[in-house]
Amino acid sequence: MSTRPALVILASAIGLAALVAAPAMLAEFHLFQLCLVAGTALVVLGLVVVTGFAGQLSLAQSAFVALGGYGSAILATAWGVPLWLGIPLVSIVVALLGYVLGLMTLRVAGHYLALATMAVTAIVQLALIHSDSITGGAAGMPVPPFEILGRQLQTGGELYWVIVPVTAALFLVVHNLNRSRIGRAFAAIRQSETAAEAMGLNVLRYKAAAFGASGFLGAVGGGLLAPLSSYLDPAAFGITQTVYFLAIAVVGGMMSPLGAVIGSAVFVLLPDFLQAFQSYLGLVFALLLLVFIVLRPTGLASLNPFRRGGEGT
Amino acid sequence: MSAPLLSVERLGVRFGGLVALSGVSIDVQAGSIHAVIGPNGAGKSTLLNVITGIYQASEGRVLFDGERIDGEPPSRINRRGVARTFQNTELFGEMSALENVLVGLDRHFACGIASGAIHGAAWRRSEAAARARAAELLDQVGLAGDEHVEAAALPFGKQRRLEIARALATRPRLLLLDEPAAGLRAAEIDALNAILLDLRARHGMTILLIDHVMALVMKISDRISVLNFGQKIAEGVPDEVRRSPEVIKAYLGEKASHAVGS
Repeated sequence: MSTRPALVILASAIGLAALVAAPAMLAEFHLFQLCLVAGTALVVLGLVVVTGFAGQLSLAQSAFVALGGYGSAILATAWGVPLWLGIPLVSIVVALLGYVLGLMTLRVAGHYLALATMAVTAIVQLALIHSDSITGGAAGMPVPPFEILGRQLQTGGELYWVIVPVTAALFLVVHNLNRSRIGRAFAAIRQSETAAEAMGLNVLRYKAAAFGASGFLGAVGGGLLAPLSSYLDPAAFGITQTVYFLAIAVVGGMMSPLGAVIGSAVFVLLPDFLQAFQSYLGLVFALLLLVFIVLRPTGLASLNPFRRGGEGT
Repeated sequence: MSAPLLSVERLGVRFGGLVALSGVSIDVQAGSIHAVIGPNGAGKSTLLNVITGIYQASEGRVLFDGERIDGEPPSRINRRGVARTFQNTELFGEMSALENVLVGLDRHFACGIASGAIHGAAWRRSEAAARARAAELLDQVGLAGDEHVEAAALPFGKQRRLEIARALATRPRLLLLDEPAAGLRAAEIDALNAILLDLRARHGMTILLIDHVMALVMKISDRISVLNFGQKIAEGVPDEVRRSPEVIKAYLGEKASHAVGS
Protein backbone atom coordinates (compact mmCIF):
# COMPACT_ATOMS: atom_id res chain seq x y z
CA MET A 1 0.00 0.00 0.00
CA SER A 2 2.70 2.49 1.03
CA THR A 3 4.57 2.19 -2.28
CA ARG A 4 1.48 3.12 -4.27
CA PRO A 5 1.49 6.92 -3.81
CA ALA A 6 5.23 6.89 -4.60
CA LEU A 7 4.56 4.93 -7.79
CA VAL A 8 1.80 7.32 -8.78
CA ILE A 9 4.08 10.33 -8.20
CA LEU A 10 6.88 8.66 -10.18
CA ALA A 11 4.54 7.80 -13.07
CA SER A 12 3.12 11.34 -13.05
CA ALA A 13 6.62 12.84 -13.09
CA ILE A 14 7.68 10.65 -16.01
CA GLY A 15 4.44 11.48 -17.84
CA LEU A 16 4.91 15.21 -17.26
CA ALA A 17 8.54 15.09 -18.39
CA ALA A 18 7.51 13.20 -21.53
CA LEU A 19 4.79 15.77 -22.30
CA VAL A 20 7.23 18.69 -21.86
CA ALA A 21 9.97 16.98 -23.88
CA ALA A 22 7.67 15.77 -26.68
CA PRO A 23 7.73 18.94 -28.85
CA ALA A 24 11.52 18.82 -29.00
CA MET A 25 11.67 15.14 -29.87
CA LEU A 26 8.72 14.43 -32.14
CA ALA A 27 7.96 15.39 -35.72
CA GLU A 28 5.16 17.82 -36.57
CA PHE A 29 2.87 15.01 -37.72
CA HIS A 30 3.12 13.22 -34.37
CA LEU A 31 2.60 16.43 -32.40
CA PHE A 32 -0.50 17.05 -34.50
CA GLN A 33 -1.68 13.55 -33.59
CA LEU A 34 -1.02 14.21 -29.87
CA CYS A 35 -3.09 17.41 -30.07
CA LEU A 36 -5.85 15.44 -31.74
CA VAL A 37 -5.73 12.85 -28.94
CA ALA A 38 -5.85 15.56 -26.25
CA GLY A 39 -8.71 17.49 -27.87
CA THR A 40 -10.73 14.33 -28.45
CA ALA A 41 -10.01 13.24 -24.87
CA LEU A 42 -11.53 16.50 -23.58
CA VAL A 43 -14.69 15.86 -25.58
CA VAL A 44 -14.93 12.27 -24.35
CA LEU A 45 -14.17 13.42 -20.79
CA GLY A 46 -17.49 15.27 -20.94
CA LEU A 47 -19.18 12.02 -21.89
CA VAL A 48 -17.44 10.19 -19.03
CA VAL A 49 -18.91 12.74 -16.58
CA VAL A 50 -22.50 12.64 -17.82
CA THR A 51 -22.85 9.02 -18.95
CA GLY A 52 -20.17 7.27 -16.89
CA PHE A 53 -20.39 9.07 -13.55
CA ALA A 54 -23.96 10.38 -13.51
CA GLY A 55 -25.42 7.50 -15.55
CA GLN A 56 -27.31 9.65 -18.08
CA LEU A 57 -26.88 8.32 -21.63
CA SER A 58 -26.14 11.36 -23.80
CA LEU A 59 -25.73 11.55 -27.57
CA ALA A 60 -25.52 15.35 -27.56
CA GLN A 61 -21.72 15.51 -27.33
CA SER A 62 -21.27 16.26 -31.07
CA ALA A 63 -23.64 19.21 -30.72
CA PHE A 64 -21.56 20.66 -27.86
CA VAL A 65 -18.36 20.17 -29.87
CA ALA A 66 -19.92 21.88 -32.89
CA LEU A 67 -21.17 24.82 -30.81
CA GLY A 68 -17.75 25.22 -29.19
CA GLY A 69 -15.91 25.15 -32.53
CA TYR A 70 -18.34 27.24 -34.58
CA GLY A 71 -19.13 29.64 -31.71
CA SER A 72 -15.53 30.64 -31.06
CA ALA A 73 -14.67 30.72 -34.79
CA ILE A 74 -17.64 33.01 -35.53
CA LEU A 75 -16.80 35.27 -32.57
CA ALA A 76 -13.28 35.58 -33.98
CA THR A 77 -14.15 36.22 -37.63
CA ALA A 78 -17.24 38.41 -37.13
CA TRP A 79 -16.33 40.33 -33.98
CA GLY A 80 -12.58 39.93 -33.74
CA VAL A 81 -12.71 38.17 -30.36
CA PRO A 82 -9.48 36.17 -30.13
CA LEU A 83 -9.86 32.40 -29.68
CA TRP A 84 -8.09 32.35 -26.30
CA LEU A 85 -10.95 34.47 -24.98
CA GLY A 86 -13.71 33.22 -27.28
CA ILE A 87 -13.32 29.52 -26.46
CA PRO A 88 -13.84 29.92 -22.67
CA LEU A 89 -16.71 32.39 -23.23
CA VAL A 90 -18.51 30.12 -25.69
CA SER A 91 -17.86 27.10 -23.46
CA ILE A 92 -19.55 28.78 -20.51
CA VAL A 93 -22.60 29.54 -22.66
CA VAL A 94 -22.65 25.94 -23.94
CA ALA A 95 -22.39 24.73 -20.33
CA LEU A 96 -25.54 26.72 -19.53
CA LEU A 97 -27.26 25.20 -22.57
CA GLY A 98 -26.16 21.77 -21.36
CA TYR A 99 -27.62 22.53 -17.93
CA VAL A 100 -30.96 23.48 -19.45
CA LEU A 101 -30.88 20.34 -21.61
CA GLY A 102 -30.18 18.39 -18.41
CA LEU A 103 -33.34 19.74 -16.80
CA MET A 104 -35.12 17.74 -19.50
CA THR A 105 -34.17 14.59 -17.55
CA LEU A 106 -37.11 15.48 -15.29
CA ARG A 107 -39.38 14.26 -18.09
CA VAL A 108 -37.34 11.74 -20.08
CA ALA A 109 -34.95 9.00 -18.99
CA GLY A 110 -33.08 5.99 -20.36
CA HIS A 111 -33.58 5.21 -24.03
CA TYR A 112 -35.82 8.22 -24.49
CA LEU A 113 -33.12 10.50 -23.13
CA ALA A 114 -30.64 8.97 -25.60
CA LEU A 115 -33.07 9.68 -28.45
CA ALA A 116 -33.82 13.21 -27.25
CA THR A 117 -30.11 14.08 -26.96
CA MET A 118 -29.50 12.54 -30.39
CA ALA A 119 -32.18 14.85 -31.73
CA VAL A 120 -30.26 17.80 -30.27
CA THR A 121 -27.18 16.74 -32.26
CA ALA A 122 -29.27 16.45 -35.44
CA ILE A 123 -30.91 19.85 -34.86
CA VAL A 124 -27.60 21.64 -34.24
CA GLN A 125 -26.10 20.08 -37.37
CA LEU A 126 -29.12 21.13 -39.46
CA ALA A 127 -28.98 24.65 -38.04
CA LEU A 128 -25.29 24.91 -39.01
CA ILE A 129 -25.99 23.73 -42.54
CA HIS A 130 -28.89 26.13 -43.03
CA SER A 131 -27.34 29.29 -41.55
CA ASP A 132 -25.22 29.97 -44.65
CA SER A 133 -24.60 33.63 -43.88
CA ILE A 134 -22.72 33.04 -40.63
CA THR A 135 -21.55 29.40 -40.76
CA GLY A 136 -20.83 28.98 -44.46
CA GLY A 137 -23.58 26.41 -44.71
CA ALA A 138 -22.85 22.93 -46.03
CA ALA A 139 -19.50 24.12 -47.42
CA GLY A 140 -18.23 24.95 -43.94
CA MET A 141 -16.01 27.82 -42.78
CA PRO A 142 -12.30 28.45 -42.21
CA VAL A 143 -11.07 28.89 -38.63
CA PRO A 144 -8.77 31.84 -37.87
CA PRO A 145 -5.43 30.95 -36.25
CA PHE A 146 -5.10 30.84 -32.47
CA GLU A 147 -3.45 34.16 -31.58
CA ILE A 148 -1.97 34.78 -28.17
CA LEU A 149 0.63 37.32 -26.98
CA GLY A 150 1.10 38.48 -30.57
CA ARG A 151 1.98 35.02 -31.84
CA GLN A 152 -0.05 32.92 -34.24
CA LEU A 153 -0.31 29.25 -33.33
CA GLN A 154 -1.21 27.12 -36.32
CA THR A 155 0.81 23.91 -36.49
CA GLY A 156 0.43 20.93 -34.18
CA GLY A 157 3.78 21.77 -32.60
CA GLU A 158 2.58 25.29 -31.73
CA LEU A 159 -0.96 24.44 -30.63
CA TYR A 160 0.48 21.62 -28.51
CA TRP A 161 1.37 24.21 -25.83
CA VAL A 162 -2.27 25.23 -25.54
CA ILE A 163 -4.21 22.00 -26.08
CA VAL A 164 -2.15 19.65 -23.93
CA PRO A 165 -1.91 21.86 -20.78
CA VAL A 166 -5.63 22.74 -20.95
CA THR A 167 -6.55 19.07 -21.31
CA ALA A 168 -4.23 18.09 -18.45
CA ALA A 169 -5.68 20.78 -16.15
CA LEU A 170 -9.31 19.88 -16.87
CA PHE A 171 -8.47 16.18 -16.57
CA LEU A 172 -7.11 16.83 -13.06
CA VAL A 173 -10.15 18.89 -12.07
CA VAL A 174 -12.54 16.15 -13.19
CA HIS A 175 -10.44 13.48 -11.49
CA ASN A 176 -10.44 15.43 -8.20
CA LEU A 177 -14.12 16.34 -8.29
CA ASN A 178 -14.97 12.70 -8.93
CA ARG A 179 -13.15 11.86 -5.72
CA SER A 180 -15.05 14.51 -3.77
CA ARG A 181 -18.67 14.76 -2.61
CA ILE A 182 -19.69 15.67 -6.18
CA GLY A 183 -18.47 12.36 -7.57
CA ARG A 184 -20.09 10.54 -4.66
CA ALA A 185 -23.41 12.23 -5.38
CA PHE A 186 -23.19 11.30 -9.08
CA ALA A 187 -22.41 7.69 -8.19
CA ALA A 188 -25.32 7.61 -5.73
CA ILE A 189 -27.71 8.96 -8.36
CA ARG A 190 -26.44 6.43 -10.91
CA GLN A 191 -27.14 3.56 -8.52
CA SER A 192 -30.47 4.63 -7.00
CA GLU A 193 -32.17 7.89 -7.79
CA THR A 194 -34.88 7.15 -5.23
CA ALA A 195 -32.40 6.69 -2.39
CA ALA A 196 -30.26 9.64 -3.46
CA GLU A 197 -33.31 11.90 -3.44
CA ALA A 198 -34.39 10.49 -0.06
CA MET A 199 -30.93 11.42 1.31
CA GLY A 200 -31.63 15.05 0.47
CA LEU A 201 -29.75 15.22 -2.84
CA ASN A 202 -31.50 17.36 -5.45
CA VAL A 203 -31.20 14.71 -8.16
CA LEU A 204 -32.48 16.90 -10.99
CA ARG A 205 -29.94 19.62 -10.23
CA TYR A 206 -27.07 17.15 -10.15
CA LYS A 207 -28.12 15.57 -13.43
CA ALA A 208 -28.45 18.99 -15.05
CA ALA A 209 -25.00 19.92 -13.69
CA ALA A 210 -23.56 16.74 -15.23
CA PHE A 211 -24.98 17.79 -18.61
CA GLY A 212 -23.60 21.29 -18.04
CA ALA A 213 -20.13 19.84 -17.39
CA SER A 214 -20.34 17.64 -20.48
CA GLY A 215 -21.35 20.72 -22.51
CA PHE A 216 -18.43 22.73 -21.14
CA LEU A 217 -15.84 20.01 -21.80
CA GLY A 218 -17.28 19.26 -25.24
CA ALA A 219 -17.21 22.94 -26.20
CA VAL A 220 -13.64 23.49 -24.96
CA GLY A 221 -12.59 20.36 -26.88
CA GLY A 222 -14.43 21.55 -29.99
CA GLY A 223 -13.01 25.05 -29.64
CA LEU A 224 -9.43 23.72 -29.42
CA LEU A 225 -9.81 21.15 -32.20
CA ALA A 226 -11.14 23.79 -34.61
CA PRO A 227 -7.88 25.79 -35.08
CA LEU A 228 -6.01 22.48 -35.24
CA SER A 229 -7.99 21.35 -38.28
CA SER A 230 -8.27 25.02 -39.43
CA TYR A 231 -11.57 24.27 -41.15
CA LEU A 232 -15.07 23.46 -39.87
CA ASP A 233 -17.20 21.11 -41.93
CA PRO A 234 -20.77 20.57 -40.62
CA ALA A 235 -20.65 16.96 -41.86
CA ALA A 236 -18.15 16.24 -39.06
CA PHE A 237 -20.65 17.06 -36.30
CA GLY A 238 -23.44 14.58 -36.95
CA ILE A 239 -24.86 11.54 -35.27
CA THR A 240 -22.06 9.29 -36.58
CA GLN A 241 -19.52 11.46 -34.77
CA THR A 242 -21.50 11.44 -31.53
CA VAL A 243 -21.60 7.63 -31.63
CA TYR A 244 -17.85 7.66 -32.36
CA PHE A 245 -17.29 9.63 -29.12
CA LEU A 246 -19.47 7.14 -27.23
CA ALA A 247 -17.45 4.24 -28.69
CA ILE A 248 -14.21 5.90 -27.51
CA ALA A 249 -15.64 6.23 -24.02
CA VAL A 250 -16.72 2.58 -23.93
CA VAL A 251 -13.37 1.23 -25.16
CA GLY A 252 -11.37 3.58 -22.91
CA GLY A 253 -13.60 3.14 -19.87
CA MET A 254 -16.63 5.15 -18.79
CA MET A 255 -15.86 5.16 -15.09
CA SER A 256 -12.51 6.92 -15.16
CA PRO A 257 -11.20 10.21 -16.63
CA LEU A 258 -8.18 8.19 -17.72
CA GLY A 259 -10.53 6.15 -19.92
CA ALA A 260 -11.20 9.22 -22.06
CA VAL A 261 -7.47 9.67 -22.70
CA ILE A 262 -6.73 5.99 -23.35
CA GLY A 263 -9.75 5.56 -25.62
CA SER A 264 -8.90 8.69 -27.60
CA ALA A 265 -5.30 7.52 -28.03
CA VAL A 266 -6.49 4.16 -29.35
CA PHE A 267 -9.02 5.63 -31.79
CA VAL A 268 -6.76 8.43 -33.07
CA LEU A 269 -3.50 6.50 -33.30
CA LEU A 270 -4.75 3.06 -34.37
CA PRO A 271 -5.48 4.11 -37.97
CA ASP A 272 -1.76 4.95 -38.40
CA PHE A 273 -0.79 1.42 -37.50
CA LEU A 274 -3.47 -0.06 -39.70
CA GLN A 275 -2.66 1.70 -42.95
CA ALA A 276 -3.14 -1.58 -44.81
CA PHE A 277 -6.71 -1.89 -43.52
CA GLN A 278 -7.65 1.68 -44.38
CA SER A 279 -10.95 0.82 -46.04
CA TYR A 280 -11.94 -1.55 -43.22
CA LEU A 281 -11.24 0.87 -40.34
CA GLY A 282 -14.93 1.22 -39.54
CA LEU A 283 -15.12 -2.53 -39.22
CA VAL A 284 -12.05 -2.63 -36.96
CA PHE A 285 -13.57 -0.02 -34.63
CA ALA A 286 -16.93 -1.75 -34.61
CA LEU A 287 -15.31 -5.07 -33.68
CA LEU A 288 -13.22 -3.33 -31.02
CA LEU A 289 -16.39 -1.82 -29.55
CA LEU A 290 -18.20 -5.17 -29.55
CA VAL A 291 -15.27 -6.95 -27.93
CA PHE A 292 -15.18 -4.39 -25.12
CA ILE A 293 -18.92 -4.38 -24.52
CA VAL A 294 -18.92 -8.17 -24.23
CA LEU A 295 -15.59 -8.89 -22.53
CA ARG A 296 -14.52 -5.74 -20.72
CA PRO A 297 -17.45 -3.35 -20.19
CA THR A 298 -15.35 -1.26 -17.80
CA GLY A 299 -12.93 -0.42 -20.62
CA LEU A 300 -9.15 -0.22 -20.90
CA ALA A 301 -8.81 2.14 -17.92
CA SER A 302 -9.92 -0.65 -15.57
CA LEU A 303 -6.61 -2.37 -16.37
CA ASN A 304 -4.78 0.60 -14.77
CA PRO A 305 -2.35 -0.85 -12.19
CA PHE A 306 -2.51 2.31 -10.02
CA ARG A 307 -6.25 2.18 -9.45
CA ARG A 308 -7.02 2.10 -5.76
CA GLY A 309 -9.23 -0.80 -4.78
CA GLY A 310 -12.47 -0.42 -2.81
CA GLU A 311 -12.66 3.35 -2.81
CA GLY A 312 -13.50 3.69 -6.49
CA THR A 313 -16.90 5.11 -7.22
CA MET B 1 -50.17 17.01 25.22
CA SER B 2 -47.80 19.07 23.04
CA ALA B 3 -48.28 19.48 19.29
CA PRO B 4 -47.34 16.30 17.41
CA LEU B 5 -44.08 16.27 15.41
CA LEU B 6 -45.84 14.64 12.47
CA SER B 7 -49.49 15.06 11.69
CA VAL B 8 -51.20 13.13 8.92
CA GLU B 9 -54.66 14.65 8.40
CA ARG B 10 -57.51 12.90 6.55
CA LEU B 11 -55.06 11.57 4.00
CA GLY B 12 -56.45 9.99 0.84
CA VAL B 13 -54.45 8.45 -2.01
CA ARG B 14 -55.97 7.06 -5.19
CA PHE B 15 -54.16 5.38 -8.06
CA GLY B 16 -56.70 5.68 -10.86
CA GLY B 17 -59.75 3.83 -9.54
CA LEU B 18 -57.83 2.10 -6.75
CA VAL B 19 -58.19 3.67 -3.32
CA ALA B 20 -54.91 3.02 -1.46
CA LEU B 21 -55.63 5.27 1.53
CA SER B 22 -58.80 7.01 2.59
CA GLY B 23 -59.34 9.51 5.40
CA VAL B 24 -56.34 8.37 7.41
CA SER B 25 -55.29 10.63 10.32
CA ILE B 26 -52.28 9.80 12.47
CA ASP B 27 -50.40 11.97 14.97
CA VAL B 28 -46.85 11.05 15.92
CA GLN B 29 -45.65 12.63 19.18
CA ALA B 30 -42.06 13.87 19.43
CA GLY B 31 -39.78 11.37 21.14
CA SER B 32 -42.12 8.42 20.68
CA ILE B 33 -41.88 5.17 18.77
CA HIS B 34 -45.07 4.92 16.76
CA ALA B 35 -45.94 1.85 14.72
CA VAL B 36 -48.36 1.44 11.84
CA ILE B 37 -49.40 -2.15 11.31
CA GLY B 38 -51.82 -3.90 9.01
CA PRO B 39 -52.09 -6.84 6.64
CA ASN B 40 -50.44 -6.79 3.21
CA GLY B 41 -52.06 -4.22 0.94
CA ALA B 42 -53.43 -2.19 3.85
CA GLY B 43 -51.69 0.96 2.57
CA LYS B 44 -48.75 1.11 4.99
CA SER B 45 -46.04 1.62 2.39
CA THR B 46 -48.24 4.10 0.52
CA LEU B 47 -48.51 6.12 3.74
CA LEU B 48 -44.73 6.22 4.10
CA ASN B 49 -44.25 7.13 0.45
CA VAL B 50 -46.65 10.05 0.76
CA ILE B 51 -44.97 11.35 3.93
CA THR B 52 -41.55 11.24 2.19
CA GLY B 53 -42.80 12.84 -1.03
CA ILE B 54 -42.47 9.86 -3.37
CA TYR B 55 -46.24 9.69 -3.92
CA GLN B 56 -48.65 12.61 -4.01
CA ALA B 57 -51.69 12.81 -1.75
CA SER B 58 -55.08 12.98 -3.50
CA GLU B 59 -56.67 14.61 -0.48
CA GLY B 60 -55.78 15.65 3.05
CA ARG B 61 -52.42 16.97 4.18
CA VAL B 62 -49.22 16.14 6.02
CA LEU B 63 -47.72 18.50 8.60
CA PHE B 64 -44.18 18.18 9.95
CA ASP B 65 -43.37 20.38 12.91
CA GLY B 66 -46.45 22.44 12.09
CA GLU B 67 -45.60 23.03 8.42
CA ARG B 68 -47.17 21.43 5.37
CA ILE B 69 -44.80 19.08 3.58
CA ASP B 70 -47.11 17.15 1.24
CA GLY B 71 -46.35 17.98 -2.39
CA GLU B 72 -42.72 18.86 -1.71
CA PRO B 73 -39.98 16.87 -3.48
CA PRO B 74 -38.38 14.07 -1.39
CA SER B 75 -35.02 15.86 -1.09
CA ARG B 76 -36.69 18.95 0.44
CA ILE B 77 -38.63 16.81 2.91
CA ASN B 78 -35.40 15.07 3.92
CA ARG B 79 -33.73 18.44 4.44
CA ARG B 80 -36.54 19.40 6.82
CA GLY B 81 -35.54 16.48 9.03
CA VAL B 82 -37.42 13.39 7.82
CA ALA B 83 -35.29 10.38 6.85
CA ARG B 84 -36.34 6.89 5.84
CA THR B 85 -35.28 3.36 5.05
CA PHE B 86 -36.73 1.20 2.29
CA GLN B 87 -38.61 -2.09 2.45
CA ASN B 88 -36.37 -3.96 0.01
CA THR B 89 -33.33 -1.79 0.78
CA GLU B 90 -32.21 0.87 -1.66
CA LEU B 91 -28.50 1.00 -0.93
CA PHE B 92 -25.85 2.31 -3.30
CA GLY B 93 -24.69 -1.23 -4.03
CA GLU B 94 -21.32 -0.55 -5.66
CA MET B 95 -20.24 1.78 -2.87
CA SER B 96 -18.68 0.74 0.42
CA ALA B 97 -20.72 0.92 3.62
CA LEU B 98 -18.76 4.02 4.62
CA GLU B 99 -19.45 5.76 1.30
CA ASN B 100 -23.16 5.02 1.61
CA VAL B 101 -23.19 6.89 4.91
CA LEU B 102 -21.04 9.67 3.41
CA VAL B 103 -23.80 10.34 0.87
CA GLY B 104 -26.20 10.87 3.77
CA LEU B 105 -23.71 13.22 5.43
CA ASP B 106 -23.18 15.16 2.17
CA ARG B 107 -24.67 18.53 3.05
CA HIS B 108 -23.42 18.53 6.63
CA PHE B 109 -19.74 18.27 5.64
CA ALA B 110 -19.76 20.34 2.49
CA CYS B 111 -16.71 21.96 0.96
CA GLY B 112 -16.78 24.29 -2.02
CA ILE B 113 -16.42 23.07 -5.60
CA ALA B 114 -13.16 24.99 -6.03
CA SER B 115 -11.57 23.24 -3.06
CA GLY B 116 -12.92 19.91 -4.31
CA ALA B 117 -11.41 20.55 -7.74
CA ILE B 118 -7.88 21.02 -6.42
CA HIS B 119 -8.28 18.81 -3.33
CA GLY B 120 -7.36 21.80 -1.19
CA ALA B 121 -7.23 22.19 2.59
CA ALA B 122 -10.98 22.76 3.00
CA TRP B 123 -11.69 19.57 1.07
CA ARG B 124 -9.19 17.55 3.14
CA ARG B 125 -10.68 18.84 6.41
CA SER B 126 -14.32 18.24 5.49
CA GLU B 127 -13.56 14.83 3.98
CA ALA B 128 -11.67 13.67 7.07
CA ALA B 129 -14.38 14.94 9.42
CA ALA B 130 -17.12 13.30 7.35
CA ARG B 131 -15.29 9.96 7.31
CA ALA B 132 -14.83 10.06 11.07
CA ARG B 133 -18.53 10.81 11.59
CA ALA B 134 -19.55 8.07 9.13
CA ALA B 135 -17.45 5.54 11.04
CA GLU B 136 -19.19 6.61 14.29
CA LEU B 137 -22.61 6.10 12.73
CA LEU B 138 -21.64 2.65 11.44
CA ASP B 139 -20.44 1.77 14.91
CA GLN B 140 -23.74 2.96 16.36
CA VAL B 141 -25.67 0.39 14.32
CA GLY B 142 -23.15 -2.38 14.92
CA LEU B 143 -21.31 -2.22 11.61
CA ALA B 144 -17.85 -1.32 12.93
CA GLY B 145 -15.35 -3.29 10.87
CA ASP B 146 -17.56 -3.36 7.77
CA GLU B 147 -16.63 0.18 6.64
CA HIS B 148 -14.97 -0.89 3.42
CA VAL B 149 -17.24 -3.75 2.46
CA GLU B 150 -19.27 -3.11 -0.68
CA ALA B 151 -22.89 -2.52 0.38
CA ALA B 152 -24.24 -5.16 -2.00
CA ALA B 153 -21.90 -7.74 -0.47
CA LEU B 154 -23.20 -7.27 3.11
CA PRO B 155 -25.62 -9.86 4.52
CA PHE B 156 -29.24 -8.72 4.46
CA GLY B 157 -29.49 -7.95 8.18
CA LYS B 158 -26.48 -5.67 7.95
CA GLN B 159 -27.84 -3.97 4.82
CA ARG B 160 -30.93 -3.09 6.87
CA ARG B 161 -28.81 -1.54 9.60
CA LEU B 162 -26.64 0.26 7.04
CA GLU B 163 -29.82 1.89 5.73
CA ILE B 164 -30.58 3.11 9.25
CA ALA B 165 -27.05 4.54 9.59
CA ARG B 166 -27.36 6.26 6.21
CA ALA B 167 -30.72 7.75 7.17
CA LEU B 168 -29.34 8.95 10.53
CA ALA B 169 -26.46 10.62 8.67
CA THR B 170 -28.88 13.20 7.27
CA ARG B 171 -29.58 14.30 10.89
CA PRO B 172 -33.32 13.62 10.95
CA ARG B 173 -35.72 14.48 13.74
CA LEU B 174 -38.13 11.84 12.46
CA LEU B 175 -36.95 8.43 11.30
CA LEU B 176 -39.30 6.37 9.13
CA LEU B 177 -38.64 2.66 8.89
CA ASP B 178 -40.34 0.59 6.18
CA GLU B 179 -40.70 -2.99 7.47
CA PRO B 180 -37.31 -2.99 9.23
CA ALA B 181 -37.77 -6.53 10.57
CA ALA B 182 -38.94 -8.27 7.39
CA GLY B 183 -36.63 -11.16 6.54
CA LEU B 184 -34.65 -10.87 9.78
CA ARG B 185 -33.97 -13.75 12.20
CA ALA B 186 -35.13 -13.50 15.84
CA ALA B 187 -31.67 -12.57 17.13
CA GLU B 188 -31.38 -9.86 14.48
CA ILE B 189 -34.79 -8.47 15.46
CA ASP B 190 -33.62 -8.20 19.09
CA ALA B 191 -30.50 -6.33 17.95
CA LEU B 192 -32.66 -4.01 15.86
CA ASN B 193 -34.95 -3.36 18.86
CA ALA B 194 -31.94 -2.44 20.96
CA ILE B 195 -30.71 0.02 18.31
CA LEU B 196 -34.11 1.73 18.03
CA LEU B 197 -34.64 1.98 21.81
CA ASP B 198 -31.13 3.36 22.17
CA LEU B 199 -31.79 5.97 19.48
CA ARG B 200 -34.84 7.21 21.33
CA ALA B 201 -33.22 7.11 24.77
CA ARG B 202 -29.94 8.80 23.87
CA HIS B 203 -30.87 11.02 20.96
CA GLY B 204 -34.56 11.68 21.58
CA MET B 205 -35.28 10.36 18.09
CA THR B 206 -38.90 10.12 16.99
CA ILE B 207 -39.50 6.90 15.07
CA LEU B 208 -42.42 5.90 12.87
CA LEU B 209 -42.18 2.33 11.71
CA ILE B 210 -44.46 0.17 9.66
CA ASP B 211 -44.36 -3.57 9.92
CA HIS B 212 -46.39 -6.68 10.27
CA VAL B 213 -43.95 -8.49 12.52
CA MET B 214 -45.88 -8.22 15.80
CA ALA B 215 -42.89 -9.24 17.94
CA LEU B 216 -41.01 -6.08 17.08
CA VAL B 217 -43.97 -3.75 17.10
CA MET B 218 -45.55 -4.83 20.39
CA LYS B 219 -42.28 -4.78 22.32
CA ILE B 220 -40.99 -1.32 21.52
CA SER B 221 -43.90 0.82 20.33
CA ASP B 222 -45.45 3.53 22.49
CA ARG B 223 -48.44 3.76 20.23
CA ILE B 224 -49.81 1.68 17.36
CA SER B 225 -52.15 2.60 14.50
CA VAL B 226 -53.77 -0.20 12.54
CA LEU B 227 -54.60 0.10 8.84
CA ASN B 228 -56.82 -2.21 6.84
CA PHE B 229 -57.92 -1.70 3.23
CA GLY B 230 -56.59 1.87 3.31
CA GLN B 231 -58.47 2.92 6.44
CA LYS B 232 -57.43 3.31 10.05
CA ILE B 233 -59.40 0.75 12.05
CA ALA B 234 -57.79 1.10 15.48
CA GLU B 235 -55.23 3.05 17.43
CA GLY B 236 -53.84 2.98 20.95
CA VAL B 237 -51.14 1.57 23.18
CA PRO B 238 -49.98 -1.96 22.30
CA ASP B 239 -52.28 -3.70 24.81
CA GLU B 240 -55.41 -1.92 23.58
CA VAL B 241 -54.59 -2.76 19.98
CA ARG B 242 -53.85 -6.38 20.82
CA ARG B 243 -57.32 -6.78 22.33
CA SER B 244 -59.25 -4.79 19.72
CA PRO B 245 -61.79 -7.08 17.99
CA GLU B 246 -61.41 -5.03 14.78
CA VAL B 247 -57.71 -5.81 14.71
CA ILE B 248 -58.19 -9.48 15.42
CA LYS B 249 -60.76 -9.63 12.66
CA ALA B 250 -58.39 -7.95 10.20
CA TYR B 251 -55.50 -10.21 11.04
CA LEU B 252 -57.17 -13.54 11.71
CA GLY B 253 -60.47 -13.34 9.86
CA GLU B 254 -64.14 -13.04 10.85
CA LYS B 255 -64.55 -16.47 12.53
CA ALA B 256 -61.48 -16.13 14.70
CA SER B 257 -62.67 -12.80 16.03
CA HIS B 258 -65.90 -14.44 17.25
CA ALA B 259 -63.89 -17.20 18.83
CA VAL B 260 -61.63 -14.75 20.65
CA GLY B 261 -64.48 -12.42 21.54
CA SER B 262 -66.70 -15.09 23.13
